[in-house]
Amino acid sequence: MTARLPLPHRWDDLRRWVPWLLPLGAATTLAAASDGYWPATVARMLPLALLAVSVATVTGAAGLPTLGQVAPYAAGAYTTARLAMAGHTLAPVHLTAAALAGAFTAGLLGMLLVRHRGTVVLMLSLAVAELTTITATQWRTVSGGTDGLAGIPAPHLLPGTPPLTADRPVLLYATAVTVAATAATMLLLHRHHLLLTAVRGNETRAAASGHPVTTYLWLVHTGAGAIAGTAGALLIHTHRWITPADVGFDTAALALLAAVIGGTHSPPGAAVAAVLVLGVRDVAAADWPGHAPLLLGALFVAAVYLLPGGLTAALTRLRAEIRRVRATRRPEPLPAASRRTS
Amino acid sequence: MDTYLIPGLDGIAYGLLLAIAAAGLTLAFGAGGVLNLAHGTLIAAGGYVAATTSTGTWPSLAAAVTAATVVGAAGGGVLAAATARLRGRGHLDQALLTFGIALIGADLLTTVFGADIRRPRLPAALDTTLTIAGHPYPADRLAALTAAVIITTIGYAVLHRTRAGRLIRATVDDRHMVAGIGVNPRAVDTTVLVVSGALAGLAGALCTPILGVGPATAPTTLLLSLVIVVCGGLGSVPGAVVAAIGVGLVQTIGVITIPALAPYLLLSAMALLLLTRRRPLPGMPG
Amino acid sequence: MTRLRSRLRRGLASATAAAALLTAAACAGAPADPDAVRIGLLVSLSGTYATVGQDMQAGFRLYLDSHGGRLGGRKVDLVVGDEGDGPATAVPAAQKLLERDRVVALTGLVGGATVDKVQVLTTARKVPLLGANARPAFTSEGGKPRDLTYTWHTSYNSDEPGIAIADHVKSQVGDGAVYAIGPDYQGGWDELRGFTDTFTRLGGKLANPDGKALFTPFPATENFLPYLNKAAETKPEAVYTFYAGAAAVAFVKQYAQSDLKDVPLYAAGFLTEGSVLTAQGPAATGIRNVLNYSPTLSNAANQAFIAAWSAAGNSSPPTTFAMASYDAAAVLDRALAGVAGDVTGPKLNEAIGKVGRVTSPRGDWQFEPTEHRPVQRWYLREVRADGPVLSNVLVQDLTTLPAT
Repeated sequence: MTARLPLPHRWDDLRRWVPWLLPLGAATTLAAASDGYWPATVARMLPLALLAVSVATVTGAAGLPTLGQVAPYAAGAYTTARLAMAGHTLAPVHLTAAALAGAFTAGLLGMLLVRHRGTVVLMLSLAVAELTTITATQWRTVSGGTDGLAGIPAPHLLPGTPPLTADRPVLLYATAVTVAATAATMLLLHRHHLLLTAVRGNETRAAASGHPVTTYLWLVHTGAGAIAGTAGALLIHTHRWITPADVGFDTAALALLAAVIGGTHSPPGAAVAAVLVLGVRDVAAADWPGHAPLLLGALFVAAVYLLPGGLTAALTRLRAEIRRVRATRRPEPLPAASRRTS
Repeated sequence: MDTYLIPGLDGIAYGLLLAIAAAGLTLAFGAGGVLNLAHGTLIAAGGYVAATTSTGTWPSLAAAVTAATVVGAAGGGVLAAATARLRGRGHLDQALLTFGIALIGADLLTTVFGADIRRPRLPAALDTTLTIAGHPYPADRLAALTAAVIITTIGYAVLHRTRAGRLIRATVDDRHMVAGIGVNPRAVDTTVLVVSGALAGLAGALCTPILGVGPATAPTTLLLSLVIVVCGGLGSVPGAVVAAIGVGLVQTIGVITIPALAPYLLLSAMALLLLTRRRPLPGMPG
Repeated sequence: MTRLRSRLRRGLASATAAAALLTAAACAGAPADPDAVRIGLLVSLSGTYATVGQDMQAGFRLYLDSHGGRLGGRKVDLVVGDEGDGPATAVPAAQKLLERDRVVALTGLVGGATVDKVQVLTTARKVPLLGANARPAFTSEGGKPRDLTYTWHTSYNSDEPGIAIADHVKSQVGDGAVYAIGPDYQGGWDELRGFTDTFTRLGGKLANPDGKALFTPFPATENFLPYLNKAAETKPEAVYTFYAGAAAVAFVKQYAQSDLKDVPLYAAGFLTEGSVLTAQGPAATGIRNVLNYSPTLSNAANQAFIAAWSAAGNSSPPTTFAMASYDAAAVLDRALAGVAGDVTGPKLNEAIGKVGRVTSPRGDWQFEPTEHRPVQRWYLREVRADGPVLSNVLVQDLTTLPAT
């Protein structure tokens, strides 16, 4: 993908956003228009979608495959839960506190993780994911033990507004937060796209040119931690319960695999893929009770063979194919303005 | 000293059992180039086959172990075919594929064998306890320990004394050179994955009498094997054996010495080892 | 070019397949028979608790089938959902049962954490929750104690097995110390707390070094030998434990191979209940355990239950899990018979409250009026040969809990 800033005055770049906004808009309309089941179900998928965005940022932009983003996710979630249970129920306060908690956790862990590469960082992050669940289980005063917390008070958007308990407002709120966080991530990554590509492509040369490589990676890791923390706050706002099992290896693995399916260099792709994965696990498998693992496994295998490079790559190929078909159908030479290749 | 004798022996026995499983995984990664997350499912498959084949007689035990190894090898072959088309696409894609296969395999195993915990019926001689230094110790664990030692020795001999073994070690070090001397790397990959699967099935058969086999076997053994493989060095079989014994000792002596930290011990030990490592893992850049 | 096209086709094919799958799932909410009463059964059909879930499903279906698919004279449409391993999978399944299938009652529920979360949903929708297994100590919701109006259980409180047997253990060990060990999660904490609190209140001593029960990492621990040998050093007069599933099999087998093999083992009945006993084999002989049911109970309801159970093709004797689900169906049978006209959640809930004394294979019981759980007998059982197989044979009655 080329490194152009998606500024609105370039129509071509705005069109690039359409494939992602379209399914989001469709999902929101569908869910908001139908009965209580769909809004609630889709809203519950969005925290993992945002976590997948965070994982895709670290895996793709920083080149560090990670299972460890559940640690800032957990930090954000438990911060929100404890604030809500202590009586502070303003949503903006929750989101800010969770983002800060997430960034802090990711910053601490990042100091250990970003010095390593490849399989080593994956295994270290696996240890982080498992240790997050274990810590949550043992720290009973915060997490409520293995049964977790339930009946967490719903947040208020602004002082004086009613609490967000009904399914449709919760869905709209969650979608807004997810889209905003993803957009912010994309803008920041695009701004530094060349730098990050250089660091990923040839670290030694970048370091020799004077770039503090480890610091850049740490910054990306910490920023992704803030996103993961926000996802944690969203988890509490959409579910209003939490158990230590929700912040462990299973969640981390689903987020990473969703990022791979979506295309590791595309955070929005990761979000869409996460919704797809949860859709298969919770919706499609509901009519075949007991065999959700089989359907999920089939999805993963199909994704590897049928979507090499992820959803993003498939979409790029689709667009290239459409353009090629259009070009072959036109016998006269193309006008100069549309000679741009993808 | 006395308090640590039995846990120490137990740790080594437990560790060597895990070493057989982990050896397969480390070979698959180092020589086969495949991050095989379906390894736990192969171990469980071997365990289920052994549990259902063994009826309490010595011949049936031998048949059970053989059947488990064959099933594991077959599974390795399936994985070899599945990952052959993924050459050059990176470890994350392999992780996605093998994780998907693991999920499908786990569901199939539970559908075929049921969700109960299975234990094989052992010959009466193995179902007893022996007395070592005044403490009872189960005979089946000693038998598994002996089997593990024998297999490890045979494995060492194969890896270091035969041409095939040397080719495998060479592939871990430098794939392209092996292709350069005229050996088809695809053949090496397939062979390694089949052998890795066979080792997994064998490990499953040896573990079932002691730990039983059930829906939780696959993820538990996968996590332990991954920890061992990473600590021992990807592709290094002696490293895996040493790391496995370390893991066994942590899980036996460690948990009773520091009970308050028992849940954290293993993973913290692994993380600490990775963080303080000076040499890069074989097969990894920098 | 052609390779790109073929890959494109495959990509489109997979997308279409996914869309078709999701659409099919979306349309699956249509009711089969508009006059049938829809009951939701949410149990673990995959994951670590699958055996318990399958037992519960078998028990419920046994009652339903032996009554011609009708409860309270009405045709029943039983919709089954998979609880999986915990709330992450259970809550979406419960949401689907409640909002798409619009069930009038929800039963089953294997895990305590699941009950804790699903109870909030069913109470908000005014649908009776008739749990048939775990029942957690409900934590307060937003500062207020939990509203249990719509929450019923046909099983037990997690701390009751320990409370029931503590007196018997005290009488057996006298002044000796008992070593308490269990798994490190809420279920284990509750079960052991029931025992240790009651036992120490009766004047008993724990052999554990710090006077508190030892909790082994859960579910990671599969090798108990180190813990058991360490426990043997404290020279306890007896050991009390709770484990379930795979851990129970490993624990019992390794207990018989450790330094503790001659020390009497007392346990909550789940240690030897169901298929785990088959896997444990002779190593389980002599374990005295406490539960609210034994297959060797001699009352008429149990004889009929066991006969029907084996006639349905089950080779091993029924478990307390199957029995509790069977009773849940019986409660719904009586309750639905007491509802006039259309069945709604609130009407059914009121009818459940009026069910009165329930005839059950475990003996008769009734709901405790405020806590909505059974006031029932607890039995001491021992693993002995019952004919050619091992079974949890009834030894004596212990007590009735909750104590009135």
